[in-house]
Amino acid sequence: MWKRTLAAVAVILLAPVSAWAGIYDLTVGKTTINVAGKDQTAMTINGSLPGPVLRFKEGEDLTINVTNTLAEDTSIHWHGLLLPYRQDGVPGISFPGIKPGETFTYRFPAQQAGTYWYHSHSGMQEAVGMYGAMVIEPKAREPFRYDREYVIVLSDWHPDDSPRTILSNLKMSADYYNYQQRTLGTFLDDAKKTGFGATLSDRMDWGDMRMVPSDIADVSGFVFLMNGRNMEQNWTGLFKPGERVRLRIVNAAAMTFFDIRIPGLKMTVVQADGNSVRPVPVDEFRIAVAETYDVIVRPTENKAFSILAESMARTGFARGTLAPQMGMAGDIPSLRPKQFLTMADMAGHGGMDHGSMNHGAASGGVTHTMPDGTVMKGTAQDAHAGHAMPGQATHTMPDGTAMAGMDHSAHGAMAMTDKADPFYAPGSGLMPKAADGGKFLSYADLKAFKPLYPDRPAGRVIEVRLTGNMERYVWSINGVKYSDAEPIRLKFGERVRFKFVNETMMTHPMHLHGMWQILDNGSGKYNPAKHTISIAPGKTVEADVEADAEGQWAFHCHLMYHMAAGMFRKVVVERETAEVIR
Amino acid sequence: MIGGQGQGSGGHHGAMAAIGAPGKASEVTRTIDVVMQDNFYEPEEITVKPGETIRFRIVNKGTLLHEFGLGTATMHAAHQKEMVVMMEHGMIEADRVNHDRMKMDHGSGGHMNHRHGQEHGSVLIEPGKSTEMVWKFAKEAKLEFACNVPGHYESGMVGQFRFK
Amino acid sequence: MSRLASIVAVAAALAALGLRPAEAADMDDAIYWHVQADQLEYRVGDGADVLAWDANAWIGNDDHRIAFKSEGENPVGKRLEEAELQVLYRRPVSEFFDVNAGIRHDLRPDPDRTYGVIGIQGLARQFVETDANLFVSETGDVSARFEAEVDWLLTQRLILQPMVEADVAFSEDRRIRSGAGINTIEAGLRLKYEIRREFAPYIGLHYERKFGTTANFARDEGDDVDALRFVAGVSFWF
Repeated sequence: MWKRTLAAVAVILLAPVSAWAGIYDLTVGKTTINVAGKDQTAMTINGSLPGPVLRFKEGEDLTINVTNTLAEDTSIHWHGLLLPYRQDGVPGISFPGIKPGETFTYRFPAQQAGTYWYHSHSGMQEAVGMYGAMVIEPKAREPFRYDREYVIVLSDWHPDDSPRTILSNLKMSADYYNYQQRTLGTFLDDAKKTGFGATLSDRMDWGDMRMVPSDIADVSGFVFLMNGRNMEQNWTGLFKPGERVRLRIVNAAAMTFFDIRIPGLKMTVVQADGNSVRPVPVDEFRIAVAETYDVIVRPTENKAFSILAESMARTGFARGTLAPQMGMAGDIPSLRPKQFLTMADMAGHGGMDHGSMNHGAASGGVTHTMPDGTVMKGTAQDAHAGHAMPGQATHTMPDGTAMAGMDHSAHGAMAMTDKADPFYAPGSGLMPKAADGGKFLSYADLKAFKPLYPDRPAGRVIEVRLTGNMERYVWSINGVKYSDAEPIRLKFGERVRFKFVNETMMTHPMHLHGMWQILDNGSGKYNPAKHTISIAPGKTVEADVEADAEGQWAFHCHLMYHMAAGMFRKVVVERETAEVIR
Repeated sequence: MIGGQGQGSGGHHGAMAAIGAPGKASEVTRTIDVVMQDNFYEPEEITVKPGETIRFRIVNKGTLLHEFGLGTATMHAAHQKEMVVMMEHGMIEADRVNHDRMKMDHGSGGHMNHRHGQEHGSVLIEPGKSTEMVWKFAKEAKLEFACNVPGHYESGMVGQFRFK
Repeated sequence: MSRLASIVAVAAALAALGLRPAEAADMDDAIYWHVQADQLEYRVGDGADVLAWDANAWIGNDDHRIAFKSEGENPVGKRLEEAELQVLYRRPVSEFFDVNAGIRHDLRPDPDRTYGVIGIQGLARQFVETDANLFVSETGDVSARFEAEVDWLLTQRLILQPMVEADVAFSEDRRIRSGAGINTIEAGLRLKYEIRREFAPYIGLHYERKFGTTANFARDEGDDVDALRFVAGVSFWF
């Protein structure tokens, strides 16, 4: 307990210093935590998990001293910040790292405002506690108003295995952590629902690919944390009824996507990845690893509301409470049924012959072939896939955009609800759907409040195929892992288009350091700028990058074990040599 | 003037009576300037006297479409749901009103346009435009001026009337 | 024996060359190692009781690995009957398959034999673990072995594991009592319970039959040509 108190004191001490001095001291070390019923050692920043909330001011010249008391190298990366590349904190790319006993001083101006975060970029230390939120107060008034705010840092803690062991286990056996596989029992259940033939044919299709539809998270066994607290420890934020409360939500998890809802409250999304967007009222949203979302809620009743962050694989909640006073708790619903990938999620899976995938089409009425040739199977357990089947009110065009049915007569105020998200493959088993009904945020809803760059066409397209070998647990870009790859070279001042093609069955949150990725979600000049863009299985997503930051930068999947297994590139932004003037 | 519009539920009549009614230009005692920004008003609080007639001069200096609507929190909440549908039907977009679509009969959405207009204490103003609205306040009530374009009220584009 | 020792020493040295701490920048090229006993079991039934093992180990990064395989049978209270060790270089050749190349040394049967090995190992369709190897012995005899095994999940932890193994020789090597043609077929059915992924006790059935000249050699020595046995054992890895 005294440790938590100490951490709280550290936060308080940091805050006043920031107002005038702009000098911050961070110490990396080891701390004992207890979130899984036993004392365990975490790597922490200033002795707390998560690290202190760093509050800066837009325009402030920052000096941040980071002292390493660990017995191994460390580093701190300022996730989402625009800064000189040597201050970016990636060992081997921006600097050599911070040796044991050394202090490294970061110096850079805070050029932007919003909610960001920071974390270690060394040796998977981020997965064992080295992360925290960063809030940069804007110079100008923000396009929204709130009475109080809370930072909510979501994370996943593995109580059993170290990151190194996890990766080693995955290399030995890719389904080491998957205890939700199909068994004789699920076969019989499905056979009862869809018939023996259809079930067998479905199992044969997956068997031909040597893939398992229940592989949504790669790693299981996590304890999910909200501001470093587990469900029982119930992080609580106070409010007075009628107040607008801004929640700055950061997903600092190593491997976990969360679906976030606050039953009884509408959330209005006002920022994504630190940038203001046109406000979108939603009932639920999915936060990919490394993303941030700011939402405003306005509880008017004098009662407790549960903040629920349910893992995408439906294995647990990170949970906290908004309450008018301490000691209150909202309801905790049961977890939603397990999600399973469908053949739609495998549409981009390349590198082998899929002749057999079409066999299903002949074997029963449960398979649908889309106009673009995608084969969709709806087996009994694919309850979610069923929702997005053709024949619902939403149609997906060959180019992937979703069109709401032009049904003008029967729309109520709930018309926005059950639309298929165009950022998921039609029929995807991961298709988001609000637990309590209503609106689930889509990337398509994010419209930049003020575009950061003038709209102009990209000069060229760089294809970024997201590739991997689940069985060997090797992850790569364009089939080549980091240690075997040449850097991606950009010319300073050019605008390029990254064309992400997800050929794997996993969802990859792709993070570019030092520059924004302007997500093409069909909003033209209002396409939102993000630091992390999540690409669902079987999807192609495009984003423009203004190469305005000279130097070398990291570019990678932010799932810890995908990054560590090779889904990573160096991006070099360089001036053309002819322009060098003495 | 007030009755016989839209769905015309009893609650709506009562609420309208409580918030006041369109005023006559000849009875205006004060002019108040309201600036719309993205997404807030300047000022965010306006003091009025019961029975007073005020000319609101409203200019939209933001980049988005905004509403200046008078009502109680409950009225605004109901109105927000309607405006979601208006946006769904393309009657309004983030930065404009599609007048041709407003006139079309969109089934249950058809009446919504009629909730806007000076006679209802609500005006929609596109970016860069301005308008005036004359309003005669009734007795003291818990009144707000608000923008019910989806997401705007929620993110704080609402101000309070104080009665003195 | 000294030959075997030198093989092991060379392999260990090769592996050690690759051993270095992983840097953040090249974490994806780290060295891993695992040791796995797929079968360590006691067989009871026709003929003498037998202690049998089938184990392997590997060390390396994603692209280059040194692998060790060992299998054998020891009739209880008798002389070691079969024992082999392979030292292999392993490299991926497709999404699901690796090529193995190296040396196999059989301590038993007597006299010992050393073979060159080339093989392909991996996950075939329908999750069938396969391992096919071609051997050329020091006497110039060529033989092959094909193994297949699949895990059927009855529950998340209870696993039914059928396996089959066939040994084929293309020429006779009378001194080790191996005929030409199909020599041996083994089939097994094991029911495992994974207490952890790394530790699973099991029970099952193991059937073994010799064919052709190999069967004749066995008869001549008074051995059974086929044997059905109950098995109980553990599989584990670390």
